[in-house]
Amino acid sequence: MKTVPLLAHDGDLIAEAARPGLGAAAWWASWGAHCREGPDSSLRELGAAGDGHGPKSGEAAVPSPATSSPMGELALHIGQRGGRSVAIHQFHQGALRVLRPHYLDDSGQVCYVVVNPGGAYLGADLFLVDVAVGDGADLLLTTQSATKIYRTPGSFAEQRMTVRLGEGARLELMPDQLIAYRQASYRQNTYISVRPSSSLVMAEVVTPGWSPDGASFRYEELRLRNEIRVETDDGGQLLALDNLLIRPPAGDVTGLGHMEGFSHLGSLVVVDARVDQSLADDLHSVTADHEAHAGISLTRTLAGTTGLVLRSLSDSTGELNRLLGACTALLRERWHGQAPLDLRKY
Amino acid sequence: MTYQLALQQLVDSALPTGAFAHSLGFETYVDAGVVVDEGSFGAWLSVFVGQQLTYSDGLAVRFLYEGVDVGELDSFLSASLLPRQVREASVKMGGRLLEIGAEVFPSKDLALYRDLVTSGRAAGHQPLAFAVVARSLGVPLQEALAAYLFAAVTSLTQNAVRAIPLGQNAGQRLLRHAADDVAAAVERIPHLTPDDFGAVSPGLEISQMRHERQRARMFMS
Repeated sequence: MKTVPLLAHDGDLIAEAARPGLGAAAWWASWGAHCREGPDSSLRELGAAGDGHGPKSGEAAVPSPATSSPMGELALHIGQRGGRSVAIHQFHQGALRVLRPHYLDDSGQVCYVVVNPGGAYLGADLFLVDVAVGDGADLLLTTQSATKIYRTPGSFAEQRMTVRLGEGARLELMPDQLIAYRQASYRQNTYISVRPSSSLVMAEVVTPGWSPDGASFRYEELRLRNEIRVETDDGGQLLALDNLLIRPPAGDVTGLGHMEGFSHLGSLVVVDARVDQSLADDLHSVTADHEAHAGISLTRTLAGTTGLVLRSLSDSTGELNRLLGACTALLRERWHGQAPLDLRKY
Repeated sequence: MTYQLALQQLVDSALPTGAFAHSLGFETYVDAGVVVDEGSFGAWLSVFVGQQLTYSDGLAVRFLYEGVDVGELDSFLSASLLPRQVREASVKMGGRLLEIGAEVFPSKDLALYRDLVTSGRAAGHQPLAFAVVARSLGVPLQEALAAYLFAAVTSLTQNAVRAIPLGQNAGQRLLRHAADDVAAAVERIPHLTPDDFGAVSPGLEISQMRHERQRARMFMS
């Protein structure tokens, strides 16, 4: 099986031709390359309206990018064999690997647990993850422990993940919470392509971080960016761009309009042809039973599939995990006849 | 004087785009008793300018000016405006702007964007419709940004004056303060990167989503 192309660390697309219909992604990637060179280069290269651009505040002076090879690299391709989902291609290098697969029930869904033996992400660390779930295959991907981002002075840690789901393929992406420590900068870029018949569920919890003096939100910057495209034989179209940016030094991130006085953030993204307003209503009812400030909305519908995004704020990881767990339990039961996920017993 | 009067017409609050029908999420805060007066609305407006108007609308205007394909930008806006009512508000007001623009400020670029919209290949978002017209009129980017952002702020403030309600003078004081936020946004937008496009603050987004479920509401968003 052909390896899913990954973004090279300087922002160039490798094997762009192998990603049909990703014109916008290429545009995006080239912009990404510009911005990594510094704030002025993109202006210079792309030209502008000819008027002044204001003083160079240096706001976009991003930390210098990592230039070394990836700290960790993981590829995991899942296919369908005799009613069970199995890995048909695996590769790992450096500080990322997977534990041996589990089958948590008799649905045929395979569960892989990603492990970062190094225990944390540091400055200039780049982690590349490439996941493909073939036609009809079913993967539950989780992590062994929280993703911890330590100090990244003058730089940032980055995880770049590409996910490709085939026809009728299903992915449940359920990582542990993300913890950014004092002076940490982290970028998580996830590029997902689904077919109209694929089923995607992803949940994530972000904590306020940790610092020696006990104060919260002492990290520099968190960027969690998910780009989800629907691929058809006519090409791809962008369904959802979920771009979360939290930058505590830039001002009050805890107050009105930002975290609304809460400390933890939870997100659930579902893309499935069965997503509709009545599902959003049902999930809304689930949120009412939890100590969380939550909102739910639907994306537009493309090629018959629709996205649902649930955003929630609370004061504990546990409460958000219970809320997101209750939502995914509803989906597992309704769509797959599966029991709620209980990863901790494995 | 070539474009000044045209720009004034384009951003006049009397331009019938239906902006009076949208709170873009602040009504949720009013309903919750969080936005109740001049000070609390001003706090919300300041966050809204610094976040949504900067990272979505403002960056869309800038990228359009810098030659990024309008169809691509349209698709990125449709994808990044995750709260349904806000996405629909952008398309509703954008549609009106495209219509009015075609009658009073026709241009080749505007006709192309309208074609994409009428043939279903684009949604027709407000900041892009504005940027296409402003650019065709020869309005420099910085002026276009300032005019667009201040027009958005003006509509929202007028809506707040009616909804909260606030006094007319309070509305003017709010606009005076918001002008500083708009000026700061106009300074920042040229320095942002494509990774910033569509970045959201969770609180604003949740309030926009929750508006869908608010029982009594004056606004469509």
